[in-house]
Amino acid sequence: MVNINFTVNGKPYEISIDENMRLIDVLRDELGLIGTKEGCGEGECGACTIIMDGETVNSCLVMGFQADGSNIVTIEGLEKDGQLHPVQRAYMEAGAVQCGFCIPGMVLSTKALLDKNPSPSDEEIREGISGNLCRCTGYNKMLIATKKAIEYMKGE
Amino acid sequence: MDIKKVYNSKSVEEVIDLLGEYGKKAKVIAGGTDIVIALNKNVIEPEILIDISKIEELKGIREEDEYITIGSTTTFAEVVESQIFENNLYGLHKACKMVGSPQIRNKGTIGGNIANGSPAADSVPPLMALDSIVTLKSIDGIREISLEDYYLNPIKEKELLINIRFKRPKDNQILTFAKLGLRKALAISRLTLSSYIEFEDKTIDSIRVASGALAKFPMREKEVEDYLLGKSLEEKTIEGAIEVLRNSMDERLKGRSTLPYKRVAISTILREILEEALAIEEGVKAW
Repeated sequence: MVNINFTVNGKPYEISIDENMRLIDVLRDELGLIGTKEGCGEGECGACTIIMDGETVNSCLVMGFQADGSNIVTIEGLEKDGQLHPVQRAYMEAGAVQCGFCIPGMVLSTKALLDKNPSPSDEEIREGISGNLCRCTGYNKMLIATKKAIEYMKGE
Repeated sequence: MDIKKVYNSKSVEEVIDLLGEYGKKAKVIAGGTDIVIALNKNVIEPEILIDISKIEELKGIREEDEYITIGSTTTFAEVVESQIFENNLYGLHKACKMVGSPQIRNKGTIGGNIANGSPAADSVPPLMALDSIVTLKSIDGIREISLEDYYLNPIKEKELLINIRFKRPKDNQILTFAKLGLRKALAISRLTLSSYIEFEDKTIDSIRVASGALAKFPMREKEVEDYLLGKSLEEKTIEGAIEVLRNSMDERLKGRSTLPYKRVAISTILREILEEALAIEEGVKAW
């Protein structure tokens, strides 16, 4: 076992984990944050996307012990005071969610993009979510949702 | 996975001592984008895992004297965001920008791209075309080797890849890159080419061409270089270069099922790097 200190969704944790755990295993099995999904387990699908120190990463490709000292945001961390994050709200309203499996990762990629670039072009939006595969929507609804989110965030 | 002990290393010395002590029982991890898959599928089964991603000395891009040095744990995203890889060094920016996905580029590193040894490593052909030198360190000392020779004498179990460096090009020396993948994002390269050309007007005064996914590892394409050297870069030169490269591929990839496809595809990719080089040189195309 190895001890790690890190912050997840604003809350500090000091936990002891198995050396063999990947970060996704730590988040899901140790912290119970099952919003983060495992799809391919190879970094292709992006379902396990989280935000680590401000950057999106595939949590299936990070070892748990490597998260020591990091600041992590998962899909559970976006809601504030019972209010959905503008990106979450926009995804719902635009009908960008069908089966929902890709959505936690997709929403986090969208949020990370807008945090860095508040007014992205269509091309930049598509590039921003290019690491997240969705087999339902065909991605156009995500583009529409992201544009809605941009408006909501400007109004905040 | 049966990892017994892990280290979040803070210094190169610590890593080198650990590698010296544990040898092949230990594996180094940085971005993890290749190695965690191998660990999870038990393709490799180290007892010790040493994280080097938090070591300051291995991070970032430095410009010193006539050299540009890229620390081994510099991520693809950091190369893409760097102002250094614009204009005549645009080829490396383009290669790193085409790696995987945003998530992969945020974690995957230049050092890992080299040390992992994939024939399809996107950042390697441009670094090879730049005639880069790889620095490795172990308890036995420092080893420097050109990237071109590296694949014949790759990283050893006690070694840590420290950085890669190359001479800063002059304004008339231009690096380009082109990739053929099966789709835009998340594509493993089927074919990549990079060229480094020094122009005297339209004449090629010196040239290095490197390929990816055309052999067991990325390599220099010397026959194409010899053909292009001293020629004026115009349509018939490009057509001639395509034929020369096809002949080299015919010998090297004989009997491979992908050869007929790659023979056709190579014409677009080789044309792209040469025409792009000329366009940048003439200032027609900003990077």
